[in-house]
Parts: sequence; structure tokens; C-alpha cells
Amino acid sequence: MKRILAAFLLLLCLAGCTPRPESYTADFFAMDTFMSVSAYGETEQEAQDTAVRLEQRINALEPALSRTREDSDLYRLNHADGAVCEVSEDTYAAIEAAMQYAALTGGAFDPTMAQLTDLWGINTDNARVPAQTEIDTALAHVGYQNIELLGNNRVRLLNGAQLDLGGIGKGFATDAVAELLDGTQSVLATLGGNIGAYGENPGRDSGNWVVGIADPDNNTDYLATVEVRDRSVVTSGDYERYFEQDGKRYHHIFDPATGYPADSGLRSVTVIDESSTRADALTTALFVMGLEEGMAFCEQNDIAAVFITADKQVHVTDKVGAVCTFTFLGEEKGYTYAQ
Amino acid sequence: MKTKKLTLCGLLTALAVVLSLVERLFPLDAVVPVPGVKLGLANVVTLFALTRVSPQDALAVVVCRVAISSLLMGSVTAFLFSLFGGLLSLAVMWALLQAEGKFCSLLGVSVAGAAAHNIGQVIAAIIWMQTGAVVAYLPLLLVMSVPLGLITGLTCSVVLSHLKKINFNV
Amino acid sequence: MRSKLKWGDFVIIGVVLALAAAIAAVLALSTSGDRLYAEVWQDNELVERVELTDSTDRTIDLGGHNVIVLSGRTAAMQSADCRDQVCVRTGTLTRAGQVAVCLPNRVVLRIAGETSEIDAIVS
Repeated sequence: MKRILAAFLLLLCLAGCTPRPESYTADFFAMDTFMSVSAYGETEQEAQDTAVRLEQRINALEPALSRTREDSDLYRLNHADGAVCEVSEDTYAAIEAAMQYAALTGGAFDPTMAQLTDLWGINTDNARVPAQTEIDTALAHVGYQNIELLGNNRVRLLNGAQLDLGGIGKGFATDAVAELLDGTQSVLATLGGNIGAYGENPGRDSGNWVVGIADPDNNTDYLATVEVRDRSVVTSGDYERYFEQDGKRYHHIFDPATGYPADSGLRSVTVIDESSTRADALTTALFVMGLEEGMAFCEQNDIAAVFITADKQVHVTDKVGAVCTFTFLGEEKGYTYAQ
Repeated sequence: MKTKKLTLCGLLTALAVVLSLVERLFPLDAVVPVPGVKLGLANVVTLFALTRVSPQDALAVVVCRVAISSLLMGSVTAFLFSLFGGLLSLAVMWALLQAEGKFCSLLGVSVAGAAAHNIGQVIAAIIWMQTGAVVAYLPLLLVMSVPLGLITGLTCSVVLSHLKKINFNV
Repeated sequence: MRSKLKWGDFVIIGVVLALAAAIAAVLALSTSGDRLYAEVWQDNELVERVELTDSTDRTIDLGGHNVIVLSGRTAAMQSADCRDQVCVRTGTLTRAGQVAVCLPNRVVLRIAGETSEIDAIVS
């Protein structure tokens, strides 16, 4: 009897080693947005270590991707008057990715819109509709072809172009988070409109992460959910940053062709992809392209995307079913699911 | 006498372990969507040990069975859950067996044992996971324990009456 | 015959089933009362954590910069002195996982709960 008891006690001690997920969430502000990184681990300390490590990585990336901080690479590059600049490895990689996706989308996404963005001043006290001549002047400097990558982290901007990596910055940061994980950790990162869901979700039997796609009219609510794992979900919408003048809404997603906020009949585009940087660039590009062209582009390039239109329709591409479980929930809010 | 008893207990433990392995072949949780739902065939052995050997030996058999089968196929959490369930089940069945023949039959004892096993498991899960959410599984588990308990009880009484015929005694 | 059912067997079965029904009933009644908490964060620090119940009625004023109203099982950023007003436009939060963020003032209002249908909202 005594031996059995001893054996039992031994096993009970061993039981203490079984993983039981503890979670830790780091909430912080970075890259002009609110970020929240939740990590899970066997102990709270472990979860906290992971979350803090990821937060530090994101904070370290901020100067590499910012163009407003005067000590940043992009600020230096944008004010170099066409001279060759050496930038950090992170910055170089981000510029390289931005150029790649600009080429892929035929310039519908363009990382050289800094002057145009400044002109409209959305989210500043000087938000206004600029004169056409001003827009034309700004547009003359836009064009990803003006970026020259010279290798060894050296970059040159031609034709007075100025870089703005805001369109992929959060995606780049999300991917940087994913790179720090070894595949066994469970992490949910919400960086503004970018979500990265990695590893097994300990909170659900399926182990998947359920991400709601925001209702454009009330973004605390959602019109659909996608169940994902080891993927990023990114949304760009006209409802996040905008100003109103003379009863018209001007949002922050500009069409590089016109210099005006893209008027494509879309409210938002969501992309589900392994690369958050790619998804980030694609949501912007697809928003600019509009529903028809965007859907065709996605089918051609095998992209999983969800389009929400101004006339309250939800469209998904064929690829969506292959990368996640999509559930449409917008019926009560007057939306129709176009299959 | 002592050797005979020891041998019997060893046999019973082995049998119980085999039974709990065998019942893995019936994926009951595929039919009833509750984690942890089992036929409880090993309960036949517990019940037998309680009625034919002694409560102390039954306890030993239960602890050994749980320990061995957890080592063979389960995690340590599974071990804890089963142990809690097994001990509570044993206690309830022992208490009811005092009134067996007058108040109830082996079938009732077995049903109560199955129910107690589930309650014990869920309590262990609550303590372990520090969440009351698992209680949600209990109603279905309890309902299931009625037919499952009847089956194991019936099996046990068939075995016992058979042993009676061949004059087997401990 | 040992296997002959006695009246006590029915009592046992009845007790087990009644227990199942009772637990199911309690669960059914209590799930509608899932706990919700409103959390107010300022500069990455938790300023307030309030349980939201049907009788909650509270206003939290963060030095005049942000005014948060907790009413019943809902929370909302009622006013903010920032220019973009994104947090105010976010509207009323009713479910666990919802967040209203005031970027300029670095204030976050979030609803936390024990269970949530979704893990995050992408917007």
C-alpha cells in the first residue's frame, strides 16, 4: 500500500509539469497605431517573455519604417535630394518588398505616395481637399520605378520621389513577429489592421484563431469570421481614417492614378495570406482596383480576399475556402453574400 | 492464501488494463461529442474486486490500473482525471454494496459507480484547469452513465453467476 | 438472480438523471450571465477594471481628456478632446474582445470576458 502511495505521489508531482497554457497580453502604441500581442506559454512568465520579446522587436522596427522621425532612415532618404543612402537591413528589406508588390499590382499599391499623403493631411489638423494643380504636382513624383535599389543596403530615389512605407509597415512588423516564433508557440498579434495568428489557439478545441472581419459602419462589430492558423489577416477600409468636407467623405486609401481617395465602390478589402507584408500591400491595391478588377486579379494570382462593397455585398475569392473557414454573418445587417 | 490473493489482484489489474485498452477500440466520443466519454469496461473489474475480494484490494487494483494505463497511453492529466474518477467511483460503489441485495442490485451499484466516475473526472478537471467551464460536459456524461453503467453491471453479474456455477471462490 | 432489478436501482438511475437535469438547468440559466469587464488603459497601464453588470452605471473621466461611460453591460467612449474622434465614433462596446482606442491620448477601452466568439476583429 505504501509503495502504491509513493508511486501515486510521484506521478502527482510529474503532473505539475504538464503544460497548461497561460497567456500574457502586451498592449502598446507603435507605428501610429494601437497594438496588442497575446502570447501563450506553460507559465505566465514564459508567455510574458514571448510577448515582451515580440513587442521589443516591433519597437525596434519602428525607426526602420517611420518617415516622420528625423532620426529614421526614410527621413534621411527622403531628404537626400536623389543622393545614394545606406539604410538598415530592415529598411532595405521593406523597400524591396514594397517594390515587389508595387510591380505585382501594376502600381495599384505604390510606396512613393508620401507627398500626396502629406498634401491631403488626413488625420492631421490640416486635412483638406487640395487643388487639382497641387495634386498634379505631387503625382509627378509618384511612381515606384523611381526607387533604385543598388544592393548592399544602398538606395537612391529619383525624380524627387519620397518613400512612405506606411502601407506595408504593419505587415512587415507582423512578419517580423512570425519570424521570431519557432512554430510551437501560440501568438495572436493585432497590429492595427493587421492580425497575425500563429501556432495552436489553446482557447479553442479546433486550435484555430477566429478573426472577425469588421462591419464598415461599426467596426466593433463584424460581418463575417475567418478561422485561420499560421496566417495573417489584413483589412483596409475607408472607415478607419477619413475626414469630411462639404458632406463628402475623403478616406486615406489613395489611387496612385488620380491622386484622389480611391472611389471604387468598396468599403473594405481583407486578405488572408501567409505573408502579412504581401497581404498589407494587396489590400490597398485591391481596394484601388475595385471589385471586378480586384476579383480577377485575385483569381489570377491565387489570392484569398474578401471584398465588402458599398452596396452591401460580400464577395470572396475561390482561394478563401482553401486557406480558412469563412463564415458569413452579415445578413442581419442587410448584407448579402455573393457566392 | 496471501499469494493467491496477490496473484488474483495482479490478474485483475492486468485484465482491467487490457479492458481499458480494448475500450479505446470503441470511439464512443465520436458518437457522443464529449471528451472523456468511455464505456467504462474496467469498472467490471472494480466491481468484481469489491464484491469478491475486498475493498482494500479493489482500491489497489484501481490505483494500479489507472497508473499503468495512463503510462501506456495517456498523459499525466488523463491519469489525474481517471484516478479521481476511479476513487470516487470506488467509494460510491463500496457504500452502495453494503445495501446490495436489499436496496438495490449490482446494476444500480454499477450505474452509480459510472456516474461517480464522471463526476470525479470533471471535478479533477475543474481543479486542474481552474475553470468551471468543463461542468458543461457533465449532464451528458451523467445521462450516458446510465446505459453504460447498466451494461457493465450486467456484464459483472453474468460473470459472477458464472463463477458461482463453477464454484469459484477467493 | 443477482441481476434482478430492485426498486433502489430505479432510485439510483433517477438520482443520476435528476442530477444531470439540474446541472444542465443551472448551466442554461447562468450562461446568459457570462461575466464582462470593462478595462480602461492609459499609457499602457491599467487604470480601471470594472465588472459590467445589468446595474452598472458609471462615468470615468480621465482628466477631461476622455470620458468613458459604463452603462449596463456596455461601455462607450463618450467624448474625447482629440481631433480624430475615432474612439468616439467606434460607438458602444457590448461584447468581449471589442476595443475602442484613442490614439492621440493613448487611451484604450476594452471589454474583456471569459468567453468570446472571436479572438480578434480585423479592421
